Amino acid sequence: MNLPKPRILRSLLVLSLTACGPQDSTVPASPLLRNNTEQAVTGVAEISASHVKEAINQYCVVCHSEQLETAGLRLDSVDLTDVSAQPELLEKVIRKLRTGTMPPEGLPAPSPEQRHTMVAWLESSLDEVAAASPNPGRTETLRRLNRTEYQNAIRDLLKLDIDASSLLPPDESGHGFDNVIVGDLTPSLLDRYLSAAQKISRLAIGGAQASVQSDVISVPPDLTQEEHIPGLPIGTRGGVSVSYTFPQNGEYDIQVRLARNRTGDIGGLLNSQPQLMELLIDREIIETFMVVRPNGPDHSEVDKDFKARIPVTAGPHDLGVTFPKISSSLLESERQPLQSHFNEIRHPRLNPAVYQVTVTGPYATEGPGDTPSRRQLFVCQPTDTSQEEACAREILSNLSRRAYRRPVDETDVEGPMTFYQKARTEGNFDEGVAAGLSAVLMNPQFLFRVELAPDDVAPSSPYYISDIELASRLSFFLWSSLPDEELLAVAERGELRSPDELETQVRRMLADQRSKNLATNFAGQWLQLRNLEAFSPNVRLYPDFDDNLRQAFRQESELFLDSVLREDRSIVDLLNADYTFLNERLAKHYGIPGIFGSRFRRVELAEGSERGGLLRHGSVLAVTSFPNRTSPVLRGVWVLDNIYGAPPPPPPADVPALDEAAVAASLPMRERLAAHRNNPVCASCHNTIDPVGFALENFDAVGRWRDHDGDNGPVDVTGGLPSMGNLTGVSGLEAGLLSRPTLLADTITEKLMTFALGRGVEYYDASAIRKIVREAEPDGYRFSSLIMGIVKSIPFQMRTSL
Amino acid sequence: MIITKKALPRRTFLRGAGTVLALPLLDAMIPAATALANTPARPVPRLGFVFVPMGTDHARWTPKGGEILDELSPILSPLENLKDKITVVTNLELQNSYPGTHDTSNSGFLSAAFAKHTESSDYHSGTTIDQIAAKQIGQETRLPSLELSMDINPLAGVCNNGYACVYQNSISWSSPTTPLPSEAHPRLVFERLFGEGSTPEERAALLRSRASLLDSFHADIARLKGKVGTGDKNRVDQYLETIREIERQIQRAEEADEEEFSTDMDRPVGVPAEFGDHATLLYDLQLLALQADITRVISFQFTRELTNRTYPQIGVPEPHHPTSHHGNDPAKLEKIAKIGQYHVAFFAEFLEKLKATPDGDGSLLDNTIYLYGSGMGNPSLHDHANLPILVAGGTSAGLRGGRHIRYENGTPLANLHLTLLNRVGVDVAAFGDSNGKIEDLFDPVPV
Repeated sequence: MNLPKPRILRSLLVLSLTACGPQDSTVPASPLLRNNTEQAVTGVAEISASHVKEAINQYCVVCHSEQLETAGLRLDSVDLTDVSAQPELLEKVIRKLRTGTMPPEGLPAPSPEQRHTMVAWLESSLDEVAAASPNPGRTETLRRLNRTEYQNAIRDLLKLDIDASSLLPPDESGHGFDNVIVGDLTPSLLDRYLSAAQKISRLAIGGAQASVQSDVISVPPDLTQEEHIPGLPIGTRGGVSVSYTFPQNGEYDIQVRLARNRTGDIGGLLNSQPQLMELLIDREIIETFMVVRPNGPDHSEVDKDFKARIPVTAGPHDLGVTFPKISSSLLESERQPLQSHFNEIRHPRLNPAVYQVTVTGPYATEGPGDTPSRRQLFVCQPTDTSQEEACAREILSNLSRRAYRRPVDETDVEGPMTFYQKARTEGNFDEGVAAGLSAVLMNPQFLFRVELAPDDVAPSSPYYISDIELASRLSFFLWSSLPDEELLAVAERGELRSPDELETQVRRMLADQRSKNLATNFAGQWLQLRNLEAFSPNVRLYPDFDDNLRQAFRQESELFLDSVLREDRSIVDLLNADYTFLNERLAKHYGIPGIFGSRFRRVELAEGSERGGLLRHGSVLAVTSFPNRTSPVLRGVWVLDNIYGAPPPPPPADVPALDEAAVAASLPMRERLAAHRNNPVCASCHNTIDPVGFALENFDAVGRWRDHDGDNGPVDVTGGLPSMGNLTGVSGLEAGLLSRPTLLADTITEKLMTFALGRGVEYYDASAIRKIVREAEPDGYRFSSLIMGIVKSIPFQMRTSL
Repeated sequence: MIITKKALPRRTFLRGAGTVLALPLLDAMIPAATALANTPARPVPRLGFVFVPMGTDHARWTPKGGEILDELSPILSPLENLKDKITVVTNLELQNSYPGTHDTSNSGFLSAAFAKHTESSDYHSGTTIDQIAAKQIGQETRLPSLELSMDINPLAGVCNNGYACVYQNSISWSSPTTPLPSEAHPRLVFERLFGEGSTPEERAALLRSRASLLDSFHADIARLKGKVGTGDKNRVDQYLETIREIERQIQRAEEADEEEFSTDMDRPVGVPAEFGDHATLLYDLQLLALQADITRVISFQFTRELTNRTYPQIGVPEPHHPTSHHGNDPAKLEKIAKIGQYHVAFFAEFLEKLKATPDGDGSLLDNTIYLYGSGMGNPSLHDHANLPILVAGGTSAGLRGGRHIRYENGTPLANLHLTLLNRVGVDVAAFGDSNGKIEDLFDPVPV
C-alpha cells in the first residue's frame, strides 16, 4: 500500500487546512450540509453530480490525485455525469465512505450528513445504471459437488450416512467458502470419486460383496471421559457413540482399545478400581468387559481380549462403548482442580478411557437385510426373473432423475442399464442394481452442477436460468444438497417462478430441518468456526482445555445461529441476544452457575451478563487467538471482515517482522502492539484494526472473561470502530455495530450471496445487495427477508452467457 | 534400464500372523509400472529409514577393529551374513537436538533441525530428508512416500518437557510445520498400497469395474464438450486429460494382472498381538511396496522414544525407557543391548529378504539404501553424540559396504543426510548443520 511519506502528508495537511479552513462544527455551511439527516435524505434529489464532485475534490483528491495516486487510486478525474463509465471505482468509494474507513483518521472528513448524502447520491445513480442494464455476473458452467454437498446428496438420494471426509480430500476455499473453487478435477480427485462410487453402491445395496471389511472409529486423544458423553445412556461416563452402518445381516467383531499415555500405560488405571466397560448396540448392552489393573508394569495385555463377535442386522445402528459411572463419592482420588483429564502430567485421567473401536465383518453373513437405503432404492421388487429388466429400469430412472436433478429420458437410463445387464449376467439382481447405481454416481450429471445458456441467447448477455437450474441453486444454497421431490416436481412443471410459489418453497425449505446447513456449513465458514478443530491452546497457560470444551464451543454457536434462523429473528439479535446455549462443561468455563449435565439447553441470561451475542461466544474468541495469547489484530480483522463489512487490506508482502524478542511478554497487550501505531506504514491499517480487537480484551485466548491482565492491572478495553470514535469494551463495540444495522445486513447478505452463488461477489452485484437490504429493512432485517431477497435477486435468477 | 518381469523364486515368501486370516505364501508380484529413471552406471536407489529409540550401549554396538568390518559387535551380530552390505558410521552427532530430550531425538533423526520448544500448535522443526527425496524420486510412483510405525497411540497435549507430542509422534515432516502421520495398523498399510478388497479376486473385480466406470465417465464428459460454449471447452479438455491419466494408471495395473502377477497376500485384518509378528508384518509390507514399485521412499519408526515396552520374549521384562537410564549399571546395559540386538534382528531378516528379491540386474538390496539408527547416543545422559548409525544396501548406487567409518567427535549426522540426498539427485550443497559429505561410503569414482 503506497502511502505518502509522512512529511509530504504533513505539508498536504497544512495546505488543505489553509485552503478549506478548520474542519469542525463551526465551519460555515457547505452546500452539502443540511440541518439534519432526514432533510439530507429527502434532499438527495437536489444534490447534483457537481456537488458530490466538489466533496470528492475537497476530501479525497488530497491523496488520490494524479501525482500521488495513493493506493493506486485516482479520484481527480472521475466523471460523475456518467457513472456507468466507472462503476467499480465508485462502488469502492461508496464502501469506504459508508464504513467510515476513508478519509483516514486525522484528516479532514465530511460530516455524517455530508457523508450520507454523498453515499446516497452515488448509490442511487449506480442503482439506476444497474436497473437499466442488469449484470447478473457469471457462475461457472461446470461446478463439481464439494465434499459437504456430496455427503448430503448421498444422504438424501440413498438415505445413507457416509463420512465423506474419509472418502474425499478437503476442498480449497475461495472468498471464504469451499463451494467456490470447484471447477477443477485432478487425477487424485477423480480417483477418489471412483472409489467412493464403488464403495457407496456396495454399502447401499448391502449384498454385493462377501468379504470382510474393517472400520476403525477413533476417539480424540484430548477428550475427557470422566463424565457423561451426549448420545450415551444416563448413568454412564466416557466412551464413544457413533452411528455405524453395518453392510449386511451377520456377525461382526468389535474390538476396543483403551487410551494410553506416552509410555504405553493405560491412563487412569493405576488408581482406579476394577470397572465395567459396556458395548452397546442401539443402547442395549450386548457385551461387558472388566478393566482390571495388571500386577506388573506392563499394560499391553489389559485390553487384549476386549473383543466380541456379535450378530447385528444390516443398516444404521447406534454403536456405543462406555463405562457405568461409579458414583463420585466412591472414587478414591484426590480432589481435582480442573475439568480436563487426559494428559498424564497435567491432569491425568482418573478412570480408563476408550481410544479406538474397530468393527470388522460381516462374518456368517445372512444377506442384505432390510435397510433404509434398500427401501429407498428398491421402488419395486421383481417377483420373478421376467420382471427384472423392467424393474431395474424403473429403479434406475427414478434414481437418475433425483441424482441428476432433472427429468430423465431413455438415453439417460441406457448407460446405467448397460452396467446393470453386465453385472446381472455375472451375479444376481441386487448386484446388477448396485452396478447401475455406481454408474449413476459416476455420471457427470450427478457429480457436476451444470448451467448451460440456451442456444438462442446472444453472447455476453444476461438470461434467466431455467426452473430446473433454479431449483438446484435453491437446494444447494439452503440445504447444500439435492432438490427434494416437491421442489423438483414444481420445477418440472415450470411453476417455480409463479409469484407465490417461489416464496412458498423458500419458506418450506427454511422450515425443513435440512436448513440447519446454514447454521453449520455456511456460518462455520462465514465466521471461521471451522478453525475450532485445529485450535489447541498452550497447555501450560490454559490447562483446562479439552475436546469436550472445543465441541461445546462449537455447539453453542451452531445452536445459537440455528435459533436465530429458525425463529426468524432479526440479524441484530446475533449481536445483542440475551440468551445462549450451555451445558455444564461450558457453563463452568464461563463461570455461570447452576447448569448441570452434558445436554445443551437454552439459557436466558441475566441482565448485564458477560455472554450473549456472537462477540461473546467462546468459539469466536478462540479462533481469533493464538495458542498462548489473545490477538487484537486477529479479532479486529474478524469483526471488520465478517460483521462490519470493511475488510482491511492484507499486509504488504514485505512487512518487516516485528522483532519478537524486543517486546517483553509481560507488558500489557496495548504496549506490546505499540510498534503498530508508532510506525506510520503499519499504522495506516493498524489504527483501524487494533482498536476493534482491544475492545474485546476482556476475553482471554480461550474466551474466559477477565478484568485483569496478569500483573498488568485492569484490562484497558478502550477501542473503536472506524469513524465511531472511542468505544469501551464488548458492550461498546456491540452498540457501535448495532448503530449501523445496514452495515451488518450488507455484510451478511454479501456472505450469503457468495455462498448462494458459489462465486465471489463483485462490484456489479452491489446494486442487488442494496436492494435486498433496503427491502428487508421494514421488518427489521430478518434472516428470511435477506434470504428471500437473495433468491429473488438478479444474480440468483439470471446468469450472463459466455 | 528396464526391469524385466520375472517370477519370484519360491524361496521368497511372506510369513505373518494376522489375527484372523492366515497369510498364504507370496508367489509373485505386481511388477514395477515404470522404469526407474536412472543410468546403467549409477542407478537412482530407493531410500528407507528405520528409527530406533533411546540410543544404545556403545560398548556393545561399536565394532572393534579397523576400517574393514570383519568382526561384528554383539548388537550387530544378526547382520553376520550381510556384513559386506552394511557400513557402520561412528561419531555422528545431532547438534540441533540439544538440550537432550527424547522428542528432539525423534524429530531430529531425519531433519537435523532445531525443534521449537513449544507444547502448542506452533511447532516448528525441519523438512526431513525422506520427504525431500520423495519430491525428487517419488513422483512416478503411486505413493511418493510411505510412513510406518509400530505404536498405535498418538497423543495430544504435552508429551515431554514442554515439547508438543508431534515431535515424538513423527519422524517424517513434509515441511517445517507439517509433521506426517504414520501408519502402524497393517491392514491400513495394506489398503494404502493395494486399495480395497480383501482377496486378489475381489481386487481384480474392483479394478475391472473401475475401468468401466471410467469409460462411461469419459464418454459422458466427451458428450458434454459438445454442449458447452467455446469458452468452456478448455475446461472440459482439462477433465479429459485427467481422465486419460487415470486410464493409464488402471491400464498399468490391469496389464499386470493379466500376466498372472498379483499379490496372493490376503489383506491382513488386525494388529498381531506378538511384537515379533507385528514387526515382521510391517517389514514384509515394505518389501511388497518396494517390489511392486508402489513407493520408493519409506520411513519406519521402530518403537517410540520413551516407550515402556517390555520384551519378556528375550528375557527383558522391564520397560525399555527406565532401563535405558542405566547409570552405567552393567545389568541394565546388558538389557538394553539385548533389546538393541533384538531390533537389529528384524532389520537383518528384512535385509535378507531384500537380498533374495531380484530387481533389475541385481537384487532389491542392491538398489535400495536403508539408514538404520537412533537420534540419541547415550540414553542415560540423553546426549545426541556418537549416534548408533548404519547404512545398508545400495551397492548399485556405489555403496561399498563392509566398512566401519570412524569420524571425529561431533561430525554432523546431516553430512550423511546430505550425502544421501545428493545420491538420489537432490542437488543441494548443504543440509541442516552439515559441514561436508560422507564420501567414504562409496567406491571411489573411476577417473
